[in-house]
Amino acid sequence: MSESIISVRGLIKRYGSFVAVNGVSFEVKKGEIFGLLGPNGAGKTTILECLEGIRQPSGGTLSIGGCNPQSNGGKLRQILGVQLQSSSLPDGIRPREAMTLVCAWHGMPPRFDLLSRFGLDYQSKKHYREMSTGEKRRLHLALALASNPAVVILDEPTTGLDVQGRAEFHNAIRELKASRVTILLATHDMAEAESLCDRIAIIIRGRIVAIGTPAQITATGQAETRITLRTKRNCLLPGRDIGSARFLKQVENYGIWLCRDAAAAVMELLKEVQQSGDSVEDLRVERPSLEERFLELIEGGYNNECLVQTSLDPV
Amino acid sequence: MSALFKHLWIQFKIDIRERGTLMTYYLVPLVFYFVMGAVFSSINPLARQTLPATMPIFAVTMGAVLGLPVPIVKMREFGVLRAYHVCGIPEGAVLFIQSISAFFHLLVVSIIIFVTAPVFFEASYPKSFFAYFLSLLILLFVSIALGVLIGMVARNQSIALMLSQSIFLPTVLLSGIMFPTSMLPQPLRMLGRILPATYIMQSFSGLGFGLPTDINAAFSLLIAAGIGVAAVIFIVIKLKALEKSL
Repeated sequence: MSESIISVRGLIKRYGSFVAVNGVSFEVKKGEIFGLLGPNGAGKTTILECLEGIRQPSGGTLSIGGCNPQSNGGKLRQILGVQLQSSSLPDGIRPREAMTLVCAWHGMPPRFDLLSRFGLDYQSKKHYREMSTGEKRRLHLALALASNPAVVILDEPTTGLDVQGRAEFHNAIRELKASRVTILLATHDMAEAESLCDRIAIIIRGRIVAIGTPAQITATGQAETRITLRTKRNCLLPGRDIGSARFLKQVENYGIWLCRDAAAAVMELLKEVQQSGDSVEDLRVERPSLEERFLELIEGGYNNECLVQTSLDPV
Repeated sequence: MSALFKHLWIQFKIDIRERGTLMTYYLVPLVFYFVMGAVFSSINPLARQTLPATMPIFAVTMGAVLGLPVPIVKMREFGVLRAYHVCGIPEGAVLFIQSISAFFHLLVVSIIIFVTAPVFFEASYPKSFFAYFLSLLILLFVSIALGVLIGMVARNQSIALMLSQSIFLPTVLLSGIMFPTSMLPQPLRMLGRILPATYIMQSFSGLGFGLPTDINAAFSLLIAAGIGVAAVIFIVIKLKALEKSL
């Protein structure tokens, strides 16, 4: 098993009597993309800010690359790149100047190649105030990578981006993963988490209620697999329960069934079609999505939830 | 050091690009100076004589106390300091560089006034250049320190503007740069003595131009410097608090 580069043990953060983060523990191994998911106010940003050294935890221990974020800020900045959820730069600064500035403070030559990589070089005369949301996001990502960090924290990096901007950003994150950069990603976007993250933790009211790969978390839910089927002569319509497949509804010439054991239910449906001398024209099997599982957890099923998986190994 | 110089150069350029900064650092003080030089000094000969003292006080107070706080508040409000922090740039360095950049801008304006006042308006040259420039340096130090302090304590831009005006307007009216403090009623004269500009005006007049003063000129300079040092101490305390609450 690869070594863990981020370690969070029993993290607690209180604001007065309000407990924003309540005993959160997780580990992220080198080269992994680890997602933090949760509704607004769940505590994602607070966890990240404690890791970034911006906030002082009320309890627990944190480590990034063997460095304590609270007591060793200087070393932390060498190994950690951060894109904040909301931040800004002076209105009159140019991307090239921002890169020069950040690299100068890291004692290294400016990384203009990062501006080019994120499509900003041609706009190097543009002022920050004139840049679009997507350009600003890409600039902040480029600045976060200026010191060649081993770990990058991205706090809702695609919020406010259009579809193209989001796709470009996802490609940039995949490139980072390919170069073995460890990424801790907080997001609201389930599709983003599902497509990018090796593992995710779902946080609700300051606690982790599920942790594991997106597939593992999805699989543990109560939601059933959906089978949509259309045959040439509509032999299964009007619909009825067939074996373990529970009929849900008919939409035009399609019948829709729900089941727990998808393989068995599909076999039973196909057997019924075959016995009727009919043939299949279209068959779709849809597993419950991460979003459905997330909503299931949000809607109250999380109080007695066990952690889905604690192993560090991504699938 | 290289990082500091690069940062300072970039900050200097950012300041030049900001319309608001240009207005408060250069345009308004210089326009006011030319109006004062052309009109007011012809009415009051004493005003013409001390133009190289009064107008830098006006320009520096305006630039530092009105111009500097709002950008600092904006940096806090909009997360610029947070963005710098996570990129490894200390908040203290950001404020220091902002202050040094303001220092150079306001020094340039002051030198423009110093050089042009005798040429355009027949203003007097100081009797002691050393004392004049020492007073100017203390003026820059104390004004910038107050500007940064307002930027650090104000919760938002409106409060910053209110605090700035509460220093700037009395400075213009009560410190002796528009008319001698001896012409003011006693309560206003006493009120003027809480302003650093009053003491700077005394030291410019007494030490720089050899004119009679209400307060000992050297002592005035020390008081002004003391106010600046006190402001810096408060800034450091606020900075420590800010680092914990980013």
